[in-house]
Amino acid sequence: MFRARKNNPKAGTSTIGIGWRHPHYSELLERLPALDFLEVHSENFFAAGGDALATLEQARQSYPISLHGVGLSLGSAAGVDALHLAQLALLVHRIEPVRVSDHASFARGVFKTATVHATDLLPLPFNREALDVLCANVQQVQDRLKRPLLVENLSAYLNWKSQPEQGPTSETDFLNQLAHRTGCALLVDVNNLYVNALNAQLTGAAGDPVMHCHTWLDAIATTAVGEIHLAGHTRVSDEHGEIVIDDHGSRVCNEVWCIYQHAVARFGPTPTLVEWDTDIPPLDVLLDEAARANTLANMVTQALSPSTAEQHP
Amino acid sequence: MSALARQQQALLAALFDAPPHTGASTLADDLHPPWQRGLKVYQANGHALAVRALSACYPVLAQLLGEDSFAALARAFWHTQPPTQGDVAQWGEGLPAFLTHNDQLQAEPYLPDVARLEWAQHLCAMAADAQADLQSFQLLMECEPAEVTLVLAPGCALVQSDWPVVSIWSAHRLADSDFAEASHRLKAGLCETALVWREGLRPRVREALPVETELIAGLRMGQPLNQALDAAPALDFTAWLPMAVQTGLLLAARSLQRDSAGRRS
Repeated sequence: MFRARKNNPKAGTSTIGIGWRHPHYSELLERLPALDFLEVHSENFFAAGGDALATLEQARQSYPISLHGVGLSLGSAAGVDALHLAQLALLVHRIEPVRVSDHASFARGVFKTATVHATDLLPLPFNREALDVLCANVQQVQDRLKRPLLVENLSAYLNWKSQPEQGPTSETDFLNQLAHRTGCALLVDVNNLYVNALNAQLTGAAGDPVMHCHTWLDAIATTAVGEIHLAGHTRVSDEHGEIVIDDHGSRVCNEVWCIYQHAVARFGPTPTLVEWDTDIPPLDVLLDEAARANTLANMVTQALSPSTAEQHP
Repeated sequence: MSALARQQQALLAALFDAPPHTGASTLADDLHPPWQRGLKVYQANGHALAVRALSACYPVLAQLLGEDSFAALARAFWHTQPPTQGDVAQWGEGLPAFLTHNDQLQAEPYLPDVARLEWAQHLCAMAADAQADLQSFQLLMECEPAEVTLVLAPGCALVQSDWPVVSIWSAHRLADSDFAEASHRLKAGLCETALVWREGLRPRVREALPVETELIAGLRMGQPLNQALDAAPALDFTAWLPMAVQTGLLLAARSLQRDSAGRRS
């Protein structure tokens, strides 16, 4: 039986979940804290059997599961790996997840004479050719899974040049067109937005990072957003220079909480995930972050006037 | 080739080429500056993931080599045999052979076999689940040995070695570590064959008895029991059978049906 507190994520209040990682497998199953969903990385459960899959199936008895992929390589010109898609489809069949998502990125391509996978989230150029490839791959995955996919914006440390005649030149236009053409939903990672804004500020390409993120959110089609991600980041300064990295290794910073409130105000109640993937802290820290997300989302939702709320059903 | 495919190939080359700057220069026209700093992030991500992924598959090898040497090995392997799938747990099968050809590790010739044992255990942990059917062993009373075979546990594998590979592995993995015994066996030049199987959800490793090795090898190939037993004449099967069932190595007996042409199904 589900422990879901809210069944309709776009009505009433935002559903809140946490990224469930190996150090918390046992403790969470023992305590069964009140959460609306658990998120796991799909690829960690691609095995045909064994302990990890059994653990996920046990969790599924108590929580809705969100399957978040990091390896579909949806933007790859070399296409989606048929074996990867088959494994994902089998996992979706087994777990019946509440959502299935991956990223607007690529990792798969030809190196020397072989097709390789960089096992990272490498950025795409925001042009027509990349959009066509991304749309075709997303459509292929949706057709195979027989359900809409959610596609996440990246924290990108490289930015491809695009010419205006090559199609959409902004990330928001690119993602809006992706959602419009494929029917997929957008997964908006507000920490990724802030990391990109901080790095743009470092190179002089953008001004105030929070305002930059608010402008980005204001350009996204409100009906397209199906989930929001929250996480921590870190600033690195070494012999190669200064850069901000989306390491998912700390609490959500105040600026990202501020951007999150702006997002909820714009998109309405939206499923929200707190991610933590490196230097994973005690479970209570994640639950505390989830509780804060819940409080802020409720506060924003309640502050919306009825007329405003009606604009964002 | 499309412009997108060319850009993606150039970035992959910049990540996997060694030395790393070889493919990077072709990116200068396509990326906004300062692209070199961002590229360093992705290169570092790849190296960190290589160490993390291979440490998960090869924990004893990582202990034997030490943190720095293992990280260097993982980075070298990353560039030589990049992952081909998005599921990184599938990456690393080629590491034992890669070790064999590493000149710097020739003084420790048992390392590739330790790695082969760990990869077998890694695959065993991910194998499809299977349930024991104890009732089915009644077939051993009802059928001729030529008409029945025995079903082994998921992920069952034999790793033959010219080194005491199980003793070395056990000394580093088990709570009652016995480094002295492993060292003694290594100096004595003893050979061991590792038996890997899954008991429930837990992968197990023990030294295979010399008398059971051929039987298990035959059963892994689906041979009829009589044929598998013929290859293991010294085995006391009546003593071995309950031990194998009790430890989960054997799950069931299976009748070998014949079709009208006499072929087994």
